[in-house]
Amino acid sequence: VEDAHYAQQQLVCASCGCVLAEGLLTTTYTEEEQLREVTYSHSTGQREQQSRCLQRGIRRVQDLCKVLQLPGSFEETAVSYFQRAFQHPSFHLVSLEKKELLGGCCVFVTCRQHNWPLTMGTICSLLYAKQEHFANVFLSLQKELELSVPALSLAELVKTQLSSFQLFQPEAAIPAQFVEDKEMMVTRTMQLVELASQTWLVTGRHPVPIVTAAAFLAWQSLQPSTRLTCTLGQFCKLGGTPLPPPAHLRLKELLEILLRMAAQLAWLRVFHLDKKSVVKHIGDLLQHRIFQKKENEKEKKKEKEKEKEKEKEKEKEKEKEKEKEKEKEECGEGSLEGQGKRKSKQSRLRPLLPPCLINPRKRPRAAAPSAADSGVSGEEPISDTELEQYLRDPEEIRAL
Amino acid sequence: MDADSDVALDILITNVVCVFKTRCHLNLRKIALEGANVIYKRDVGKVLMKLRKPRITATIWSSGKVICTGATSEEEAKFGARRLARSLQKLGFQVIFTDFKVVNVLAVCNMPFEIRLPEFTKNNRPHASYEPELHPAVCYRIKTLRATLQIFSTGSITVTGPNVKAVASAVEQIYPFVFESRK
Repeated sequence: VEDAHYAQQQLVCASCGCVLAEGLLTTTYTEEEQLREVTYSHSTGQREQQSRCLQRGIRRVQDLCKVLQLPGSFEETAVSYFQRAFQHPSFHLVSLEKKELLGGCCVFVTCRQHNWPLTMGTICSLLYAKQEHFANVFLSLQKELELSVPALSLAELVKTQLSSFQLFQPEAAIPAQFVEDKEMMVTRTMQLVELASQTWLVTGRHPVPIVTAAAFLAWQSLQPSTRLTCTLGQFCKLGGTPLPPPAHLRLKELLEILLRMAAQLAWLRVFHLDKKSVVKHIGDLLQHRIFQKKENEKEKKKEKEKEKEKEKEKEKEKEKEKEKEKEKEECGEGSLEGQGKRKSKQSRLRPLLPPCLINPRKRPRAAAPSAADSGVSGEEPISDTELEQYLRDPEEIRAL
Repeated sequence: MDADSDVALDILITNVVCVFKTRCHLNLRKIALEGANVIYKRDVGKVLMKLRKPRITATIWSSGKVICTGATSEEEAKFGARRLARSLQKLGFQVIFTDFKVVNVLAVCNMPFEIRLPEFTKNNRPHASYEPELHPAVCYRIKTLRATLQIFSTGSITVTGPNVKAVASAVEQIYPFVFESRK
């Protein structure tokens, strides 16, 4: 009977099983008639059961959720995102390193969607990954799966960051006067972070250094007499948290904002405050800020109503002007005065610009002459003399 | 300030990238020897040639494909590309200037107001993407124009698109959205 052992045809005796004759071993894919090789990705095997890679990935996602102590519902969501992404053509055939990052991205997206303050720095350190690689995978995951990822919640981040500080319980390494009440510190830090976000210090910047700087100022202001001598670096060391490099700059910017606020208050102008002494009055400034905010909102509403009224009056006058040719522009003058007042109020309400506009580093760009001005159409003839500057002389070539 | 009133915005074109083909094989070693203002990158197999007027940098491959960058208008890019092709002709190659195409235009525009990026992102999902941990600007993509805008809180906007018209249309399209989220 004819039989086959792998790719080799054989004639085998049916009674004793001896090989009577052997065929040639096939050497090319086209010669093989039996037992053609089928790759795993073309077989039905991968649809019938989960691949080891997917199982490993799911386990990694679950481990990450356990390490971060996330609720159970987060784990389910993250795993479902991972399964969806794994089946997507953009992520199916990528490297194992990228698949690991994909798992981290799914956890990150889940946390963001539930307002859980997980930063990219934290997840990158857990995955031992570079932030740029993580960023690429995160952005492509967001795009391919069409996920809506809300912004990082600063309020939650403040609470999480402060809970990692070790300044709320008396310990041997921490002097008694440096220990602080957690609730008070959280409240004051939140107020300072809110102030920073309203004064252009948060937009476009990493959030963690701002929170560190705000926490330091809040801590100092709660007992300034004993804490003013402590620096930001010492504070982070005492608290047992790393000091992010931009925190010094954020601290400087926050103090400048506070000094500007103090300059607007008559009873503080007398003190001629500087960056050290303004810390003692942070509590008053923040309270006044809340009061000022409410006042500003009331003023804005009043101004809007006034503007609406004036617009209505102007419309009525325009109608009158159409009927009568000569009329005094009394209301126009009044509105001009009103505009002047509004401008001065707006200048008081809006004295703040983003720091990079106040201290511009870049030179302003000079406008290049437009095509019409320079008279270039793209089709002008090019003379030989113009081209000679781009070609070497024969002597130069010989020298080379 | 009314978004509908005519506002003259200066769109400054900072870079135009174009490509063309010479339809002949180019000996990079010869170009490096006989051409002036030339850098030969042997490891990657290309030659960089810089023209002074217009201020353009050309990347030349031996296959005859050339990429020109640094021009400040489409016309200037074409003029520079033709100048380069003529220089290669002078060096002795049978160059035919074909398949010229402007591939990318980079422009900068300044809005006369600051922009609240978190508010802008919230109002313009899913086109807008804002990750302050990664980049300080909002990335806004307009699929129909194949244009990408980077919107900064200072009001500065960087636009990249396939041509100058697309860039101008992109700025026109984004203005009302950005105006809504102004400070």
